[in-house]
Amino acid sequence: MTVLQEPVQAAVWQALNHYAYMDAVFLAERLYAEVGSEEALYLLATCYFRSGKAYKAYRLLKTHTCSTPQCRYLLAKCCVDLSKLAEGEQVLTGGVLNKQKSQDDIITEFGDSASFTLSLLGHIYCKTDRVAKGSECFQKSLNLNPFLWSPFQSLCHLGEKLDPDQVFRLSSLHIPVAPPPPISPAQNPSHRLDTALMETPQDTLELNRLNLESSNGKLTSDSTVSYIDSSLISPDPCSLLANTVSMGSTGSLLGKPNKPKSGRSLLGGPAALSPLTPSFGILALDPSPGDPGYLQNYSGSLDAQQTAPSKKVRTSTAPLGRQEAGRLGTGRLLVRSPAPPSSVTSPQVLSPTLVAPPNIQPRRSTRLFTSASSTAKENSKKLKMKFPTKIPNRKTKCKAAKTANSNLNESLDILKLDSSMNDSKGLSTPGYQSITLQRAATDMVLYMLRELGRGYQALCCYNCQEAISILSSVPAHHYNTGWVLTHIGRAYFELAEYTQAERVFSEVRRIEAYRVEGMEIYSTTLWHLQKDVALSALSKDLTDMDRLCPQAWCVAGNCFSLQQEHDIAIKFFQRAIQVDPGFAYAYTLLGHEFALTEELDRALACFRNAIRVNNRHYNAWYGLGMIYYKQEKFSLAEIHFKKALSINPQSSVMLCHIGVVQHALKKSDSALETLNRAIGIDPKNPLCKFHRASILFANDKYKAALQELEELKQIVPKESLVYFLIGKVYKKLGQTHLALMNFSWAMDLDPKGANNQIKEAIDKRYLPEDEEPVTEDFLYDSESSMTDADDSQLHTAESDDVL
Amino acid sequence: MATPSKTPPGADPKQLERTGTVREIGSQAVWSLSSCKPGFGVDQLRDDNLETYWQSDGSQPHLVNIQFRRKTTVKMLCIYADYKSDESYTPSKISVRVGNNFHNLQEVRQLEMVEPSGWIHISLLDAKNSPIRTFMIQVAVLANHQNGRDTHMRQIKIYTPVEESSIGKFPRCTTVDFMMYRTIR
Repeated sequence: MTVLQEPVQAAVWQALNHYAYMDAVFLAERLYAEVGSEEALYLLATCYFRSGKAYKAYRLLKTHTCSTPQCRYLLAKCCVDLSKLAEGEQVLTGGVLNKQKSQDDIITEFGDSASFTLSLLGHIYCKTDRVAKGSECFQKSLNLNPFLWSPFQSLCHLGEKLDPDQVFRLSSLHIPVAPPPPISPAQNPSHRLDTALMETPQDTLELNRLNLESSNGKLTSDSTVSYIDSSLISPDPCSLLANTVSMGSTGSLLGKPNKPKSGRSLLGGPAALSPLTPSFGILALDPSPGDPGYLQNYSGSLDAQQTAPSKKVRTSTAPLGRQEAGRLGTGRLLVRSPAPPSSVTSPQVLSPTLVAPPNIQPRRSTRLFTSASSTAKENSKKLKMKFPTKIPNRKTKCKAAKTANSNLNESLDILKLDSSMNDSKGLSTPGYQSITLQRAATDMVLYMLRELGRGYQALCCYNCQEAISILSSVPAHHYNTGWVLTHIGRAYFELAEYTQAERVFSEVRRIEAYRVEGMEIYSTTLWHLQKDVALSALSKDLTDMDRLCPQAWCVAGNCFSLQQEHDIAIKFFQRAIQVDPGFAYAYTLLGHEFALTEELDRALACFRNAIRVNNRHYNAWYGLGMIYYKQEKFSLAEIHFKKALSINPQSSVMLCHIGVVQHALKKSDSALETLNRAIGIDPKNPLCKFHRASILFANDKYKAALQELEELKQIVPKESLVYFLIGKVYKKLGQTHLALMNFSWAMDLDPKGANNQIKEAIDKRYLPEDEEPVTEDFLYDSESSMTDADDSQLHTAESDDVL
Repeated sequence: MATPSKTPPGADPKQLERTGTVREIGSQAVWSLSSCKPGFGVDQLRDDNLETYWQSDGSQPHLVNIQFRRKTTVKMLCIYADYKSDESYTPSKISVRVGNNFHNLQEVRQLEMVEPSGWIHISLLDAKNSPIRTFMIQVAVLANHQNGRDTHMRQIKIYTPVEESSIGKFPRCTTVDFMMYRTIR
């Protein structure tokens, strides 16, 4: 039976790799019917899950006992996807009611996938309101695997202050090990790839090195080099664990950071090598002439492939030429090509997680590189991987200078050193070389993660200026990506610099038109700037592109809200909530719409829902404060505004609101102080000055108020409110001419407003002359009436009753 | 006496809505009619469609009652009437009454229309020229053109003034620069 499984399993993985889910499912079902083992069960469940039918995987796994960690992990994942959080937790930890396993138990039990398991568990805890446990899980997950971004992100969202420098760092657990000892084909069937994947701690380094050296001789040209993602290798005996001798040579491949080009692979992403990483892993950094990007290297003769790299390889890898398989770095590329059965097939484990002696060890971060693409658990016998050619780096030496990073330089130095060492020793210590190269590669990745982590953390704490400076200083090719630009745009948005934010977001749209994350912020930016055309275009584009993402409906809602069609906006925001009940911003926007339509109770409920979803959503706290302000419950309003401020301390708009509320509570001194603080933070905010002036006015400090207002006139010369307030001040001072002049200017600037207040202010004046009656309806009959009736405005009529 | 000039049509209320100075609050009220022909009732009166209409089916005066859950500020009432399509069904004399309940209504406006051909704006201002606050509004059709018995009314919209800026009791601000900082969204 065991023997039978392998070809079928390999075929299934191959189908999965090619996204041919129907084929994969069919074969897996046959396999499971035939064998009925847990492995086959896992395979079938994986096929279902990957084809998008989580419910099938869920039901399958539920009805059959699954005791292996992989099955349990997959079952838990299905549960979470289907929102059955309690069940997911039970699967992972043994239950809410029963004795729960501790996290250390989980680590030992799940071994390789402990970091993902803990991340999932943390997610469950956070969703079920056990934030402390959740953050603990996330921390542990990051400890095990510093390449995971989502636990880091979740921790930032929870408001935890992490130190990205500490987080994204390889600990001793993660030190790349020397290439795994070569496994001769004869041994293969017996090897479990799982163990192979295990990281070998440092102590096995020596062992590996020795192995490597010894295997040097073994590998011959017939072995095809192949990359295999460690995860690709099926747990079954297939393991033709690569002979990592080539690792050594590949180490040299890692070479220098290259100008990123097509052949980039970032941590398992499909191919993005940044110049920072001498080799984030895989292949070629540089689209060297034989390097069409790694996915394409299926063809080509073995020789060609192997010689090409060797030419480039600085170190004399010639002897190892054929065995270049040892690509360091992300072995995502699963290059498969049928090879003559006679040749030794040894799919190599390219990933830095070289096959290690069968010690179960904590996961190695480098392995993570490769894990991403998954799939391919292949029957090594059947698959021959071609060695993707890329090797580039030599060329990139000169490009290395581009990166100003000291880190980079360091790694470069290491690489150079290694290369030279290689040259001199003639491959004497390929293992050592590869290790250092791997190390350098992972350092690069981690460096990138650290930078982005710092920027992201700053943004989550609303240190927006700092976030912008950190994120703007990442290398250009990273800067010009959707993620970085979106977060910079968001930082500008939080600073209330909407024009800048809009500029950045439009750049995002240009670069990554398919990006929806962050588009809701863009739409709010456009809403603030009142750019209705851009907003409606964005809305149409997003709703056409993806009807199932909440951001698209939020954008649509914002679009209609700007057009004052609040009922339709409400409908769209409700749709956003339906699509994703965990999207806090949709609740907030809905709350704002209800507030605008005066349905304050429903608005309150919406804001509270937003806070339930995300406690640190300061917009929702602000919304609550605003509702209480409208209801004139000023102390409640102040409490909520202050809570919002505690989350986002740099928001001048918030401080402005607090100032106004304090004034309403008759605490004018603290109000003025708050407003001074607001102006200190953001001198460009005209409303702060305006409110300061109005408070001074209310406190009878007319001169100071006038001075404020004069300054304000310079900043916003077209704002009618400013003239209105100036007029009122002059009226109080008794200077009627100036007052009237300003009131008339105010009315001129606000033709459509038909501001009763301004009219009243003028009415109250006793105007000695020109009491022309103005018809009641003239203001409504046509919008143009105002401009025609300028003169009559100045002398607005007093109705018959007034006098 | 000279032929009375026709009532000119007012602006489309949608334009007014777009200025953000008024808001349609008919959805917050309970609407009822004194009588109607089946298929030509409240829904047709409030469906935003100028092709459909309410047709009354009783004796004059024909009444449209608008009752709010709470005392609401009302600034303006807009009625769409079109002599060319409705001829003798077109209302010619309309009275607007407000009050707390059916027994408490007082007339605030009465207007005569001569061959209207579009939207008629009726502002509801009290003695001090501010919008009235009321629980209930009743629109009564007292007479039709050509002494018709029943009336057609195609659409009615009721508007409230939009609250001033979210903070402070000031009139609306006009420039984008100011409005940007007005609220956190």
